[in-house]
Amino acid sequence: MALQPPMAIPAQNRLVDPSVVTELQVHDTMHREFYFTRAIYSDLRARFPSWSVDFPKADRQFLIGLKRLTNIDASGAEHPVRLDDPDLRRFPYLYAVEVGYMSLTPAEREGLRSYLLAGGFLVVDDFWGSWEWFNFQRQIQSVLPEYPVVDIPLDHEVLHVFYDIEEIVQVPNVGQGRAGGPTWEKDGYIPALRGIMNEDGRLLVAIVWNSDLGDAWEWAEDPYYPLRFSNFAYQLGVNLIVYAMSH
Amino acid sequence: MPESLFTALFKYRPIVFENGTFAFEGGPWPAMVFAGLAGAVVLGAMYRRQRDRVGTRMVWTLTGIRVAVLALLLFALLRPALVISRVIPGENFLAVIIDDSRSMQLADEGIQSRGQNAYDAFSPSGEAVEQLGERFTVRHYRFSDVAARMDPGLAPSFQGRSTNIGAALDYVRRDLTGVPLAGMVLVSDGADNADTTVTEPLLQLKSRGIPVYTVGFGEEAFRKDIEVTRIEAPNRVLAGSAFAVDVMIDQRGFDGQTVTLVAEEDGIIAGSRSITFGRGQPGTTARMILVAEAPGTHDYRFSIAPAEDEQVSANNAQSVLLSIEDSRERVLYFEGEPRFEVKFMRQAMTDDPNVHLVVLQRTAENKYLRLGVEDSLELASGFPSTREELFAYRGLILGSVEASYFTHNQLQIIEEFVSQRGGGLMFLGGRASFAEGGYAGTPLENVLPVVLEEPTSSGDFLAEVDILPTASGASHSALQLEASPDASRERWAELPPLTTPNPLYRVKPGASLLLTGRPAEGGDDLVILATQPFGRGRSVALTVQDSWLWQMHADIPLEDLTHERFWRQVSRWLVSSVPDQVSVETPKTQFSPGEPVAIQAEVSDSSYLGINGAEVIATITDPTGAETTVPLEWSVEEDGEYRGTFVPDQLGGYDIRVSAAYGGSDIGTSHTGIRSVDLPTEFFGAERNTGLLRRIAEETGGRFYTRSTLGGIVQDVEFTDSGRTVTETFELWDMPIALLLLLTLLAAEWGVRRRRGLV
Repeated sequence: MALQPPMAIPAQNRLVDPSVVTELQVHDTMHREFYFTRAIYSDLRARFPSWSVDFPKADRQFLIGLKRLTNIDASGAEHPVRLDDPDLRRFPYLYAVEVGYMSLTPAEREGLRSYLLAGGFLVVDDFWGSWEWFNFQRQIQSVLPEYPVVDIPLDHEVLHVFYDIEEIVQVPNVGQGRAGGPTWEKDGYIPALRGIMNEDGRLLVAIVWNSDLGDAWEWAEDPYYPLRFSNFAYQLGVNLIVYAMSH
Repeated sequence: MPESLFTALFKYRPIVFENGTFAFEGGPWPAMVFAGLAGAVVLGAMYRRQRDRVGTRMVWTLTGIRVAVLALLLFALLRPALVISRVIPGENFLAVIIDDSRSMQLADEGIQSRGQNAYDAFSPSGEAVEQLGERFTVRHYRFSDVAARMDPGLAPSFQGRSTNIGAALDYVRRDLTGVPLAGMVLVSDGADNADTTVTEPLLQLKSRGIPVYTVGFGEEAFRKDIEVTRIEAPNRVLAGSAFAVDVMIDQRGFDGQTVTLVAEEDGIIAGSRSITFGRGQPGTTARMILVAEAPGTHDYRFSIAPAEDEQVSANNAQSVLLSIEDSRERVLYFEGEPRFEVKFMRQAMTDDPNVHLVVLQRTAENKYLRLGVEDSLELASGFPSTREELFAYRGLILGSVEASYFTHNQLQIIEEFVSQRGGGLMFLGGRASFAEGGYAGTPLENVLPVVLEEPTSSGDFLAEVDILPTASGASHSALQLEASPDASRERWAELPPLTTPNPLYRVKPGASLLLTGRPAEGGDDLVILATQPFGRGRSVALTVQDSWLWQMHADIPLEDLTHERFWRQVSRWLVSSVPDQVSVETPKTQFSPGEPVAIQAEVSDSSYLGINGAEVIATITDPTGAETTVPLEWSVEEDGEYRGTFVPDQLGGYDIRVSAAYGGSDIGTSHTGIRSVDLPTEFFGAERNTGLLRRIAEETGGRFYTRSTLGGIVQDVEFTDSGRTVTETFELWDMPIALLLLLTLLAAEWGVRRRRGLV
């Protein structure tokens, strides 16, 4: 009598890179409390979709860590869902990457707005520098024009619900991390954790800017990728999920 | 059989047969019986010889008739008689006690009121009393809540606020102690509304052999009447709660008709509903769901507009007092793993002014997230392990947490949290809940309102269910999702399905099933919401694991408040009747001026064990604001139970605040309120209570009369053992019925013979 877990990307989804679909081998046959849901959204790129960066390895590796570090009943499978899919609201945690190139359609804007106002929680990651910030800010403000983007202070609950995080570390991409090069990209020298809160102080959107948690999860097993970046990425990733499931 | 016909046939009134002793006054009855038997044998032998001529059947018939005639004659020759005591004229007292209460104002037996009819019949100048006065010294009394001697020249006013027949009989018995009292005549409608029964006064009369002759006035059943007989409502609710009030209504003559029941809060209409009376169903219970808004003590009145042709309109409304509390009750929600239920339940109750949700969430092995705690010490070591720590909460919600997480002591104090502290405990569905969580065989299995089935392996069972309220659930105050029950029922049908990983199909005996789940894939309905009282508290099982979908499902509009409403109402219900360390109550909330108010308080320590040596004081604030104190004494019957009484002497609201201290330390306070009002008590249950009047008469050796039969009372009161009496014998051989029977038998024999051509 078990229900089929909601996981399949619609085959007709024009936004899904065919090479990515073939990767969807990990399936969880059981219904789970938590799905690491990755947002499929429209963007400005012509060749490959921004949403699928680091997909699905980052998702899978992060989920392995999440299940080991917490007792969350999490699906081990990646779980991408389109922003205009009505089923999106069944998954109150949503992760989006490379949002510097985001270009939402009206349906996606409406879907994301409905999702966030109903109680969903969005984490955005891996976008760098001023141009990408301005683009993302324009996009997200079109979704939630009534709420400003604010800095999340270090004493905010999201940084202490599971791990006590005392500083925001700049997590570099895999190439720069392995090479021991600079941790920044473009003009994104200073990492930031920002957010959008509603009038009750509930965080609707957590914005990890000038940092790349996804790469740190994806390459956590790489002996040349510095452990301190992976550690931080896992800690912040876990905190964001525990927060999303309790606040 | 009408008494006049009885008297015509049997020569004497029925009371002579009821109270007299049967005897034969004739010669040696054994010899006469022997002679009669011999005569019967001879008759039989004579008729037997005619068997060939007339046939066996005819022989038996004729023999039978002749033997009956012989027996009748023999009976008369034996001179049967009744031996009975009879009062000596002029040497005895007789008490006439007239009901002076308001119900005697009702004019349901004609143009005049019951009271006027009664007074006409038993006034000092009336024919009956004059006749009684020839044999007795008559003493007149009137009574309502108390009895008193009546000035013979002054008619009763029929203004008594209540009727206490037992007290009246006691008063008269005591007043006439020492005089030869032949009996009492109680003239009443029998509509007794005292808190005490008549049993004890009747035993006193019975032991003294004093008969009571009761005369009933009024109709035994009204032809046209609607009466709000009782209201069942909570004494106190949390502000913002929906609460149910059951209004019990009796009707006569309104079968199939529709009326409107109106609820008013302090004189302002708070709700209404239509009620259609069933055919042949005199009693109806109507449930109204109201919302408690402004804190304080409020008067709720439930009424039905009187119909034009209704006989009694004063019984169409009743009121209750309700205390709306503005406290913020603490509920502990312990979740064994991160679940979205936590997030959305907190979201639903985040700004609730009256329920404060404290969350303890296990996020990893031995790692907890505490939310909503008062300080850094609260729940610092995880789930409470002492009674004091757990009993500080009024409600407890257990999420998906396996039984093996808890120590046996913790399981035991959770059980005691419900049974002794009186807390509300809710179990949520989840992969580590119910049987799947290993609760079978633990102290909590008894607390659960559901029957645990064999546990399934993790993930083996998951049912998506459409949730529907049962009949009980549809009218339950906590499950009203919309303003009206009909709209609420429709809303339930629209809600998206939820899932449960716990196959639970049965509730325990005594538990109530409020919500069921119909599996989308077919099969038996599942238990979704069930509850049962357990000890002083209540347990609830909500077997779904994702009620948050009522907030997040795509079909739910953003502005929809179903999820919020559900959790706010259910959490209020969970803690609604949870007692404090000090609690106080009165048996009812409306009293008549002068009616004693019994105060009962319960006092317990921080682990909710009753304290017996506490100093418990009730401070009464009367309608003018003046305060008096009433010390409450330990009842001795129950640990921690204290009682006291005060008498309201003014009309208006009284506040009762009870404070308790033990060993010099304050334990706490509690308050309640009553209202002293001029209640129309007499018009409730005002039909003639024939059963009570008949019982009083039968148990004391008297008789019951109605307005149409009371003529016989003048003769009947003479036949009593009470007072100064003589024994008299009343012969029965010449009863008209004996002659009638003899003639009938002889005529029958003649008829039989003639039919067979024997004459």
